[in-house]
Amino acid sequence: MADDYADIPTLKENIDRATVDSVRSLDVDKYKYGFETDIESDMAPKGLSEDTVRFISKKKNEPQWMLDWRLEAYRRFLTMTEPTWAKVHYPQIDLQDMYYYAAPKSSPAPKSLDEVDPALIAMYDKLGVPLKEREILAGVERPKVAVDAVMDSVSVVTTFREELSKVGIIFCSISEAIREYPELVQKYLASVVPVSDNYYATLNSAVFTDGSFVYIPKGVRCPMELSTYFRINEKKTGQFERTLIIAEADSYVSYLEGCTAPMRDEAQLHAAVVELVALDNAEIKYSTVQNWYPGDKDGKGGIYNFVTKRGDCRGANSKISWTQVETGSAITWKYPSCILRGDGSRGEFYSIAISNGYQQVDSGTKMLHLGKNTSSRIIAKGIAAGFSDNTYRGQVSAHAKAKNARNFTQCDSLLIGDKCGAHTVPYIESRNGTAVFEHEATTSKISDDQMFYCQQRGLSEEDAVALIVNGFVRDVLQHLPMEFMVETQKLIAISLEGSVG
Amino acid sequence: MRQTMPVRLGAAEDTLIAQLKSVGADATAERITVAGLPTRRVESYHYTDLKTLLRTIPPLAQAANEASAPALRVPGAYQLMIANGVIQAASTAPAGVIVGKAHGGVLTTRDDVLVHLNGAFAKESLTLTLENSIDPVIQIDRRSEGEAAHVTDSLKVFVADGASAVILETFSGSDAAHVGNHATYIALGKGATVTHITVDLSPRAAAHFASNEYHVGEGAKLRTLAIHAGAGLSRTQLFPRYEGAGAHGDITGLNLVSDGQHADFTMDALHAVPQTTSQPLFKSIARGRGKAVVQGKLVVARDAQKTDAKLMSQGLMLSDEAEILSKPELEIYADDVVCGHGSTCGKLDEESMFYLTSRGIPKEEAETMLVRGFIEELVDPIEDEALAEALHGIIDGWLLGGK
Repeated sequence: MADDYADIPTLKENIDRATVDSVRSLDVDKYKYGFETDIESDMAPKGLSEDTVRFISKKKNEPQWMLDWRLEAYRRFLTMTEPTWAKVHYPQIDLQDMYYYAAPKSSPAPKSLDEVDPALIAMYDKLGVPLKEREILAGVERPKVAVDAVMDSVSVVTTFREELSKVGIIFCSISEAIREYPELVQKYLASVVPVSDNYYATLNSAVFTDGSFVYIPKGVRCPMELSTYFRINEKKTGQFERTLIIAEADSYVSYLEGCTAPMRDEAQLHAAVVELVALDNAEIKYSTVQNWYPGDKDGKGGIYNFVTKRGDCRGANSKISWTQVETGSAITWKYPSCILRGDGSRGEFYSIAISNGYQQVDSGTKMLHLGKNTSSRIIAKGIAAGFSDNTYRGQVSAHAKAKNARNFTQCDSLLIGDKCGAHTVPYIESRNGTAVFEHEATTSKISDDQMFYCQQRGLSEEDAVALIVNGFVRDVLQHLPMEFMVETQKLIAISLEGSVG
Repeated sequence: MRQTMPVRLGAAEDTLIAQLKSVGADATAERITVAGLPTRRVESYHYTDLKTLLRTIPPLAQAANEASAPALRVPGAYQLMIANGVIQAASTAPAGVIVGKAHGGVLTTRDDVLVHLNGAFAKESLTLTLENSIDPVIQIDRRSEGEAAHVTDSLKVFVADGASAVILETFSGSDAAHVGNHATYIALGKGATVTHITVDLSPRAAAHFASNEYHVGEGAKLRTLAIHAGAGLSRTQLFPRYEGAGAHGDITGLNLVSDGQHADFTMDALHAVPQTTSQPLFKSIARGRGKAVVQGKLVVARDAQKTDAKLMSQGLMLSDEAEILSKPELEIYADDVVCGHGSTCGKLDEESMFYLTSRGIPKEEAETMLVRGFIEELVDPIEDEALAEALHGIIDGWLLGGK
């Protein structure tokens, strides 16, 4: 079996090739993850019904309590209506015209990487995600990253599990967690995002298929970055993943999430729920690079990304930090939030949202101050180009008991071209006299002086724009883990391709 | 598959529907029947949920028989009075002021329940045409008199090219649970300069709603100051439109709320053409369980390049239970613009308090000094001394009034 991998290039070759590819892709198409992998799939019958919910639950070998929980969510869902307050427009989504479950067809769950379909491994390699537990590459010591790879509806592989389990960390797919750690799942699932929180979260509760589960025991500092890689491959498939991260007292974890999808004419739905729980003195750092297929240059196709992400700083002095780079998706509707419940807890939100073509982004955060001496910080940078609309929507609120709550918010928008729109909608709600909130927002364009300065030093117009934009988002970039920073800078350049001139 | 809940109508809505039908405004009645009064789900009413706040609507106002004492007198001002929606006979107008009446309301139709209601109930509107610069302050004294009444009135002002004027509107009346819905439309010609001040001095039991629409022409300068210092529930909607190059607006507002009061400024400003500027500034001071709301939206149209707009909202909390809610919005469709907003909220600066008290100034006096300093920026630009003094009087009255 091992020989099968001889043809798979090493990571270094991959990077070299990626560079060539990304240069080449500029001429042809900007979305380099737009390929489709031909992997045989096991699908649920089309459409949404109680039977679909039962089918998914059965496929996952779930216990009865989980099925009941899903059915309850499904019944709630039927009474709910789609939210319309976001500044996004799209045709009605036909929930009956898609598949809710698609799994790469493989004989019983692979026990080790050797049993995983080589086509799958090749696909992830192409995406730059190392599924093989490589430690040292080309003489360079690279920080280890444990990966959970989710394709369509199922988690295909999770790496470095043994090494993690030595320190008591549980890192597995949520389906496994439901079977193997039911007491943890039952205790924490939907404790941050209630089942009927909103339309898409409720839909997710009914039909979620996979996602990651992380449990960091008391006092453990996770020795490596944990990462999940989401990929939608099948046609007409919705991806509904569910992630649950629990950090016990005095623990620390940094988690990365990346996503891509093939290029398709029809729009695909992605409705995820992510829940984070941080107990006393724990810290969770959650970073996302979202690069779903944004649709073609006429706004056809692309992913509808309707995501509910929420962190609960349940313990005293806990901290949750969200960092996101949003470059993909036709429509983004996403507000990673922090509930600052524990006294002295802290929430952070750093965001770069780039929209080009006909993309629509309505993203931001919520910082809900409930405990005493809680603080939060929001830095959001929106860049709109082409015909896109980019909205920052954020809520900061201090409950009457949140003595000495403190917030600083800065959101800046940059407009490139005169056919796009940049909007800012903050909700600032101070409900006690000791809270101190500061909020600042600006909107501007790249000044002619900046462009002139760069261009007369020999940069092309596009390089100059990329350089200036990278400077504009620097405050956020520096909060990304090393691995993502370089990728992000490249991504920004590619996303803004064709926006000038 | 999905169930949609019909809107449950409350007593206030039932009364409104009956009143609307009695004046033949069937379309507006239908609108209320279908949608009800706006709740927090309606973005522009997010913090002022009329369905909860407005429980009863008093009967439609009848002509007033008596008048209460004037709430604010500015020496030398030219006064006009509208009592319970009826325009009263006025003294001789200063040269250049043409006073008239028109049928119906004055506001441009928009998707807003207060604007619809005003249009439906306004029988006549007072019109003023200002042909040249007018020296005396023009005061429109709007009254709600007698038993609790649902009062609707409206005012339309045209300011000729190059003319300047100071217009003061006061809202007051008998101590009853009135619901007032007031509208003002002001159009500024080329190069005109207007200062428009509205002061709500309604009784605590009343609900005060005002919608002010401004059309600012080429090179015209508009300054506004709206003060909420009366009604238990007040909301002033500001709809400035900058329609000519060089148009400028300083839209300002002051919320003064005490225990149990709810005051709301909602601005929806449109920069419609290139090269217009605005600097909206709202300040809120809340004590007790007072609630102050500021929603400000700056919209820059697709072609309105070179717009320069900066919105600021500042809140000062004098008690632990006070609430200050703000939603400053930017909606920008042109790229060559400089737009921004800022919002701050907190209590009095402890260092400044320490500075003053350590110099022997009693705590309460020090507080008053600092609050005055906080507000000064709004009143300072008003040049008419008598008017500025009158406004200071109102602010001091609130500051020194019971906690």
